[in-house]
Amino acid sequence: MRLVIFEGDNFYNFFPIAYLRPTFELRCGHSLLYEKIIRNHPGLAVSFFCRDYLAETFSARCPEGSAVNDLRSLKDDLLVFNGNLLVKKFKLHPQGPEEIALSEDGEILYSRIKKETAGKLPCTDIRSFLDTAREKLPVEKAPDLTLITYQWELIQHNREAIDSDFEIAGKSGIEGMVDKQANIYGPAERLYVAPGAEVHPQVVIDTTGGPVTIERGSIVFPHSRIEGPCYIGPETRITRGNIHEGCSFGPVCRAGGEIEESIIQGYSNKYHDGFLGHAYLGEWINLGALTTNSDLKNDYGTVEVYMPDSEGNWRYVDTKSTKIGCFIGDHTKTSIGTFLNTGAHVGVMTLLMGTGKVLPKFIPSFSWFLEGAVTAGYGYARLLETAEIAAGRRERSLTKADKALLDHVYKLTEPERKKAIRKDRKKLLRG
Amino acid sequence: MADYQDVLARVRKVTAQMLNVDEEEVTEDKDFAFHLGAESIDSIKLVAGFDEEFGIEMDEAEAVQVQSVGAAVEYIMKYLD
Repeated sequence: MRLVIFEGDNFYNFFPIAYLRPTFELRCGHSLLYEKIIRNHPGLAVSFFCRDYLAETFSARCPEGSAVNDLRSLKDDLLVFNGNLLVKKFKLHPQGPEEIALSEDGEILYSRIKKETAGKLPCTDIRSFLDTAREKLPVEKAPDLTLITYQWELIQHNREAIDSDFEIAGKSGIEGMVDKQANIYGPAERLYVAPGAEVHPQVVIDTTGGPVTIERGSIVFPHSRIEGPCYIGPETRITRGNIHEGCSFGPVCRAGGEIEESIIQGYSNKYHDGFLGHAYLGEWINLGALTTNSDLKNDYGTVEVYMPDSEGNWRYVDTKSTKIGCFIGDHTKTSIGTFLNTGAHVGVMTLLMGTGKVLPKFIPSFSWFLEGAVTAGYGYARLLETAEIAAGRRERSLTKADKALLDHVYKLTEPERKKAIRKDRKKLLRG
Repeated sequence: MADYQDVLARVRKVTAQMLNVDEEEVTEDKDFAFHLGAESIDSIKLVAGFDEEFGIEMDEAEAVQVQSVGAAVEYIMKYLD
């Protein structure tokens, strides 16, 4: 019996945060989307299917023993899951009839496929395999499941995901250190402080709105307020943080200032004062002091985000929500005093210099935003050097596969970047 | 074949505009940073300005290493030829 987790075809709905990772590796609540599926199906061998160019780097991070993009692994009894599902307690029992569950739009949510049937499905690529399964297997009415279709939905569901993950984890109480001069306001059983985690004096943890988890090795420094639901991942530091409800911090983050309903994938810093709200940050991002984003338009209208479609045509997508912050790709750095617009799409490995004004809603990947214009800056090689230095500060390094992936995404994002650079050159000349 | 004097004239014009100096000051022998006061960000602006003026796309990592007005002319001429 094998668990198969596949990336949906709509990965472009998750750019920029999914340029360097499969969509099932995005974070919501305590954990990554795929981790929740595996959690509910313990003990099974796992196969992942994602965009080809992500396979090598993801293989280095995925659970040990998993297969990535290995079609041979499909010759087995299979429990197949759309990796964009945000599961709570739902599990598919290994024993049962063959079935397939579809969303209202016909997307495969999950399927149980017997080995004999799997052996007869086309095995040239995962898409053909799944499409044929969809045609052949009996369709079951799916229970009420959440299929994440756009990146902002991760933020919108984060509070309930934190609640659910806390309940399922079943861990409560203080196993680390909470100073006696720290205050827990609200039900104490909604707080979990893991071994090796520290809560220093003059910290307030408010669990009245939801649970708070502080994982091993994390420290919450004085004069921080943490409002649940909140998840603080391993080795993260909260420094003078005013952390409102609905925040998830992945591992090795540095967070301070005001943060509300945001997700930080991991290894990123928003250390200083400045507001971050309804935002999703990737990895290896550094937000300079007083970097602030808007998450609400002055006219309270719905927010649009600039994104590509399946053909690579870029357009504004109406989120139908009034509370949308920003989406920042991995390795991006902002200067002090950078102001990000409502619904900003900031690409991978960009370098933003604040101008005193709100920046444009779209900054292409691998560009340098200087003096109010998108430029090529000092070039890609310099950005890579900076990324190496940043990784070194956390005792990590970019592997050959990481660099190959960045090279690939650099080329992938070239058309929009060149277009923006050419357009903004005139702005620079005008001064 | 690009004309050296023409390219020089246009480099001087762009440099004066980008660095906010008088065009008379911008001579071939002048170093952008040392003589004309260019800061690190200005080198990026200069490259962008030259790209726009000449309709080229220079390798930015190489281009920002160019130190002087004369060297900029030589470098740009490689793209024009």
